Amino acid sequence: MPTPLSDLMLNDRGFVFDPASGETFQLNATGLRVVRLLQSGLGHEAALAQMIAEFDVDEHTAQRDFTEFVENVSRLGWRVEA
Amino acid sequence: MNPPLRIAVSGLHRGENPQPGASIVRSLRRRFPNALIVGLVYDALESGIYMEDGPDAVYTMPYPTSGATAFFQRLDTVLEKTPFDFFIPTLDAEIELLVHLEKELVERGLRTCLPDKETLAQRAKNHLPQLARTCGLFVPETRPVYDVSEALSAATELGYPLMVKGQYYDAKMAANESVLFAAVCKLFSDWGAPAILQRCVRGPEFNALGIGDGEGGMVGLCTIRKTIVSNQGKGLGGITVLDPRLDDFCARLIRTLRWRGPFEIEAMMDEERGEYVLIEINPRFPAWVDFPSMLGVNFPATLVEMIDGASKPAPLPRCAPGHFYVRHQVEVAGHIEQLSALSAGADFEAIEAARLEGAALSAPIPTSTPVRRHPLSPL
Repeated sequence: MPTPLSDLMLNDRGFVFDPASGETFQLNATGLRVVRLLQSGLGHEAALAQMIAEFDVDEHTAQRDFTEFVENVSRLGWRVEA
Repeated sequence: MNPPLRIAVSGLHRGENPQPGASIVRSLRRRFPNALIVGLVYDALESGIYMEDGPDAVYTMPYPTSGATAFFQRLDTVLEKTPFDFFIPTLDAEIELLVHLEKELVERGLRTCLPDKETLAQRAKNHLPQLARTCGLFVPETRPVYDVSEALSAATELGYPLMVKGQYYDAKMAANESVLFAAVCKLFSDWGAPAILQRCVRGPEFNALGIGDGEGGMVGLCTIRKTIVSNQGKGLGGITVLDPRLDDFCARLIRTLRWRGPFEIEAMMDEERGEYVLIEINPRFPAWVDFPSMLGVNFPATLVEMIDGASKPAPLPRCAPGHFYVRHQVEVAGHIEQLSALSAGADFEAIEAARLEGAALSAPIPTSTPVRRHPLSPL
């Protein structure tokens, strides 16, 4: 059963611990920001908009990378609410 | 002031395949620093005999296979010299014997916390498939085998690689017929029949430590994922986890068994099924039992309070996820007189005094000078 994103334990260095599976992961700064935004309760669109506002990136690239990131973390066993 | 608790613990060796006793002693010392702790050992080289803050007195015991008469003859001698009230056995073979002897233990004023013999049999490795079915859980396909030809035939059906296990201890992965042949012969020789063949499961390993209250509930539970696994499959490292599915898995087993006393449940997350599968249930604390004690969740101390108290103790808190242990082997020092006292089958009540003389004992002893014997030494 995937672990809800809200249950993940993470620190400012991007180190992530899944308390249910006991697995550990390392996120880069961008990935960490995405997870933090989603953990704060933002939906995908709002989180994407925030990323575009914070990073020097065009909307198309941001959209593509955001979607790919969400797909990747789902494969890691994290549950990302739509 | 209450008199100090008097507790006996067995299984003190901590080597490549550590027994739980030394960890239990450490946990007991954390809560009950004044307790009198008696070590009951089967070998003079059980390393926990010689550890710092180890047992106050140590006695060799006959192997459980010697039977109840030999066990009680020796136990009565021990109780005469160093009386104790609680006994925490830690070896599967020993527990197999003791569950048949509750009346005799009670007659001697000894208090333990063990399941009854029927319950113990239900969690035997060859009965796990039936237990898992009753609980609605999965178990890897398992076959008990009683001779080598049966093992080879069962292995053909299960397919290689597979796990080969002794009825009490030891497990080895067999990738082909010749490895299986050697492993089964060794297990028969060490532990007798049956040996257990089990289909290999791919996925991470999890262990759960707890105490059953005998009514279907648990006094406490600590779950870990093994992070470092030795060649023998032992957890050299683990990290606390909190997964409601694993908790439910354990609760179902303990509820069905109405388990009484300490337990360790070994499970794996089967990557193919996406489900936990049951590997083993051990009727005792595991060798890592002092790890939760370091986090303030002391299972051995709670067990003693549970045996001692009239009412059920308050449930232990859960260990928060994210704490880990790494097994760390160190050397402990003994003296030839200690070894001699135990090896000769004599009693070894002088261990505390001998430890106090550690400086003298560790100094080189010229061979031409007669060794000064400790005044309390039976030599």
